[in-house]
This record gives sequence, C-alpha cells and structure tokens, in this order.
Amino acid sequence: MEVQLTRRPVASCCRRLASSPLLGHRRPTILSPATAAAPSTTTPTQTRHKATASRTKRALNIAPHKSFLSPSSSNTTSQKSTHVIFNPPSAAPSVYHTPFKFLPKTDPRRRANLPANLFASSSTIQFSSTPTTTSASVTALPTVGPASPKKYHLTPEDVQQMRELRAADPVRNSVASLANRFGCSKLFVIFCCQSSPQHRDKIREAIAAEQARWGPRKMAAFQERARRRQMLLDGEL
Amino acid sequence: MKRLRVDRLTGHLLVARPRSCCSPASPAAVALRSARPDHCIRSIRAQSTAAAAQQVSEVDYLSESKSAFDPTELPSPLPNRALQSAKLAALHARLSLSPKIPLQALARTLVDASADEHPQFNNTNLAFVGQTIINYHVAEWLMCRYPRLPMPIIWEAVKAYCGPAALFQVARSWGVEHAAAPGGEVDPGLLQFSVHNPKPAVTLVGLGYKRVEAEPDKRHWRRGISNRVVFDDDFGNAVDITPNTETRLDLMQEDTSDQQTEPVYTSYGTHRTREIAEEAHATFVRAVVGAIYAHCGRESAKAFVKAHILSRTLDLARLFRFAKPTVELATLCAREDFDAPVARLLSETGRLSRTPVFVVGIYSGKDKLGEAAGPSLDAARLKAAINALKAWYLYSPGDKVRVPSDMLVEGAAKWEPAHIDLGEIVTSH
Repeated sequence: MEVQLTRRPVASCCRRLASSPLLGHRRPTILSPATAAAPSTTTPTQTRHKATASRTKRALNIAPHKSFLSPSSSNTTSQKSTHVIFNPPSAAPSVYHTPFKFLPKTDPRRRANLPANLFASSSTIQFSSTPTTTSASVTALPTVGPASPKKYHLTPEDVQQMRELRAADPVRNSVASLANRFGCSKLFVIFCCQSSPQHRDKIREAIAAEQARWGPRKMAAFQERARRRQMLLDGEL
Repeated sequence: MKRLRVDRLTGHLLVARPRSCCSPASPAAVALRSARPDHCIRSIRAQSTAAAAQQVSEVDYLSESKSAFDPTELPSPLPNRALQSAKLAALHARLSLSPKIPLQALARTLVDASADEHPQFNNTNLAFVGQTIINYHVAEWLMCRYPRLPMPIIWEAVKAYCGPAALFQVARSWGVEHAAAPGGEVDPGLLQFSVHNPKPAVTLVGLGYKRVEAEPDKRHWRRGISNRVVFDDDFGNAVDITPNTETRLDLMQEDTSDQQTEPVYTSYGTHRTREIAEEAHATFVRAVVGAIYAHCGRESAKAFVKAHILSRTLDLARLFRFAKPTVELATLCAREDFDAPVARLLSETGRLSRTPVFVVGIYSGKDKLGEAAGPSLDAARLKAAINALKAWYLYSPGDKVRVPSDMLVEGAAKWEPAHIDLGEIVTSH
C-alpha cells in the first residue's frame, strides 16, 4: 500500500520559514516517519504577505465608497462643493419611517413626491416607488412563504361535503388529506369543520404519548422554540 | 345641556393666598380640623370668598387663648409652617414654579388623603383637577401625533406617560422624599401618606363608571374595547370599587394570606406598600399640576405638563404584540385597496450553516412595506410583517403637530383638521 504524501500547508505568518531550504529539510523530522523517509519533491512556493508596515498601509488604503464622492470631486479634487452625504450604515429599517404607500392622501410628503427627487441619487436607499429600476427587479426576487397565491374556488357545497366527510371518518379524512383533496390550506379546513370531541381527545392523547417519550433535551428544544416564537410575536426578538 | 365651567372648578382651591393666609392660619386651621365634616362641606360652599372663612375664624377662635397645642395631634403640618421649610422652598425653586403659587399651596399638594382626611388640607381636590389636565394633554397629543394607534396601545401609552408608575418616577426625579409617617410635626416639604390608615372616605378616582360586574367574585364578564371606552377610566381600567371600609393594612394582609407565604420584602417594602407609595407620589404630581392650573392658569399648566411629562421618552413600537401579523397585514391591504402583500427574499447568508440570516421584505405590488432579518425564512417573514404593521400604526404627521388645545390661545392660526384614521384593522378581545 502506497502512502500518499501530503504536504502540510506553510504557516501563513512567516514567509522565511517556507522559502528557506535549511528549514525545509529540517521540517520532516518533526513530522511522521513516513514523510521523513520520503524525499521532498515539491518546491516551496513563495507567497507574499503584508509583512511590512508600508505594505499594510497600502493595503488598507481603500478608495472611499462612491456615495461619498460628489459629482464634482471626480473632475476636480480641489473644488469643494457643498452637498449632503447620505450614507447610513446598514441597519434594520426603523418602523417610524412610514413607507410611501402608507402615507395618507393628505400627507404633504406624498404630495411632494419626495422619494423620486430627493433620494434618487442615493446608492443605499432605493425607494420602491421609483418606477424605472424596481418594477422588474422586485418581481424577480424569490418569494417566501406560501408557494401558491390564495384561490377562492370552494363553494358552500364543497364546504358542506368537506364537513360530511370529516364527520363520517375523521381518521381517514384527516385535515391534511382534506386540504389536499380540495386544494385549500389546512387552516381553511380547520376553519370549516370541527371534529368530534372524542376524536380531538384521541389526537391529544396521541400527541401527549408521543411527547412523553421525548427526552429532556428534545422537550427543552421544543419549549424553547415555542418561547422564541412567542417572543418574536411580542416584538422581543 | 348644562355647560361645565372649568374655570370655576378650582375657585375654592385659591383659598391659600400668599398674603391672606399667613396671619390667621394656625388657630383657624386647628379649629377647622376639629369641626364636624358636614360643617366643613358648608364652609367650602361659603368660601367662594376667602374672607368669609377668615371672619369666622377671627370671631370664634382668635379670642381664645393661643394656648400651645401639640402638633403631634394634628394629622398634617399647619399651613404656616410651609414658610419655614427649606425643603419646600427648594422644591418650589427647583420646579421653577411661578411666585404666584404660594408655598402653602405647594405644601398642601404634599399631603395625601391617607395622611389627612380633611379635604381642605389634603391634595385630593387639586389632584383631581391635575389628573384631568394631565390625562387630557397626553391623550390629545398622542391622538394627534400618532393618529393610527389602536385603542389598547393608546391606553398603554397614556399609562406609560402619566400612570402611577411614571408619575412616581417624575416625583422622584424632582427630589421629593416621603415622611416615614405623617403627622403635624413633620417637615411640610416631605410627602406625607400612610400605609396603615384606613382607606380614606374621599379618594382620587378617575372619570369613569363603577360597574357592578367588575366585582371580584364575578368572572367572565364581557369587556370589549368600546365597552371600556365608555365605562372605564382614562387608562382603560375598571374603576376601583373595593369598599371603603376595608383598610389598607387589611389589603396587605390579604395579599399575604392568598399566597400563604411571608410577604416578599424588597428594598422598598412589599409590593403593596410600593403600590401605595406610587399612588401617593402620582397624586402629588397631579396636585402640583392642579395647583399650577388654579394659580397660574391653563397655559402654564399645559407648559408644565409638556415639560415634565410629555418630554419623557417612550418607545411606542415596543408596546405592540401581534397574534397573526401576516393575516392582519393581508386584512389591512385588502381594506386599503392595496395589492395583497407578498414576502420576498432580499438577501441571505449561510443557509446551510448553524446561524443563517435571511432578509425578507414584504411588498405590496412594487412598494416595500416592511423588511426584517431573521434566523429562518418564516421568522424573517413574520418579523417583516410585524414591522410593516408597526409602520402603519406608527404613522405620524410630524413632530410639530398641532393639538386642539393650541386653539385656546388668543390669536391662534386657523385650525387644520387633524388626520383621523379609519380605526383598528383587527380588534382583539
């Protein structure tokens, strides 16, 4: 069986260690005996790192973001124009900033059509009411949540039939199967039909029996998830 | 319909004038205290002029020997001692009160009804006036500044601005301390209330109706939002109808007997004593506003409320709790004729890692309504819906919004109608 030789990666902090032949010869002795026996065939590659202050300075010297550049500064650097730099850091949007659509008809902000004029040049805030850029890009974004849009296709007769089926055999006609059969959500099935108290008790007992088999870690995780969801709805997360 | 003359409500509170009250105060006060309650009520009525009361006192009691009386027998310090109290003068100066407000009036605001039951020496009347003024200004400012707030949130916000807990903090920030026990010998600059006295016959209650169904033994009574608007007090709470015969100490003992344990003593006593202290401090703050209204007028009282109560910071966004935010947002969009809300993934990182972050935006048509980041797609979607709903509810016409009471000033500009919203999207309870 052949021993596959693998070269250990060179320590990234010291370039001299990798390039020096003396140290390169000495290195296998502290590794496994298999590597010590085999001759070193690979040549150590030279990698450049920011080992000096001047290189570090040069690397950190990044050009400013384009939102900090005024239109005039690109032409003449000496010219200082008075302009407002609007570049907020990326943070969660405040709920006190009312979306344009939520402004009432009488609000002066709506009438003044602020987003189109004032923030059109901003690179960080894109008001969705600017029609040119967003109309195509918004619809291109992937949707989250219920896959298909709501259909309002069920008639009262369908609901009646659903109730009858559910009352006849709640085990076979479970909520999921009825939702599948009628092409609606499970929540709608629950809205429409209520199973018998005996069936509900049986389901509840089955869930309790299942949960009784859980260990402490699984139960703790279950309770933690429920608590987190409640915290989310309470606005604490 | 009979018109309420608000300016006359506080006429009898101006008895303590700086000049007239100083000289005959002590004998008159002692005499008035010993009088029977029905006589007191008559004297209040007769006191539309303060001079009449003085005459009575001079004729009847000044002739008596100025025998030394024991101040410890009095329930609260005499009004003329207010002039010697350094604490009181410091409080008057610290609050930048007008010199029109005499120190005696300020001393009276510090006497709770549980310390002195006499309505002419405690702060109940002043506090009632102050409470109506404070609650009015807070409510009108909230309704004009955030016209879309649901009613439960308005109640909570009013309570957070001018409820007992908030006014307790206001009083503490003014540097007001309370006496260990009330009495005639304590410094008039200390807040005086008692945790042991029976509940006084005349207590400060808000505007509202006593409802028999709110009795503790009657559970499960229907209590909707409109119901609470009509019947309950300014904070949406049922008016307290516990009988007056019950003593405060009984209430404390009842608390402990319910739990079958020793009362939990903290640095401020038990929870019950803390409640009593909060009520007393809040009553004092309300009485100060009432005194300002009585002596300086409407605009001074409004400026004082604005400076000391409305200037406090309250993050209204944290008061909201939602049961089904996505359903509520869909209902809102349907009501307002917007396109149905659609959640879209804006960006994500580390989907297969232990700590992924998804940024989800909720769009109605092409307009973004809300955006949030969350550790899962579902959490981010729920949070974005919550943010969109908060953005709807927390709409504000601006921070310089005018309120109706601004129109009471002479030469006010023409009133522009405030924004009035359609109302709640989904009413719970």
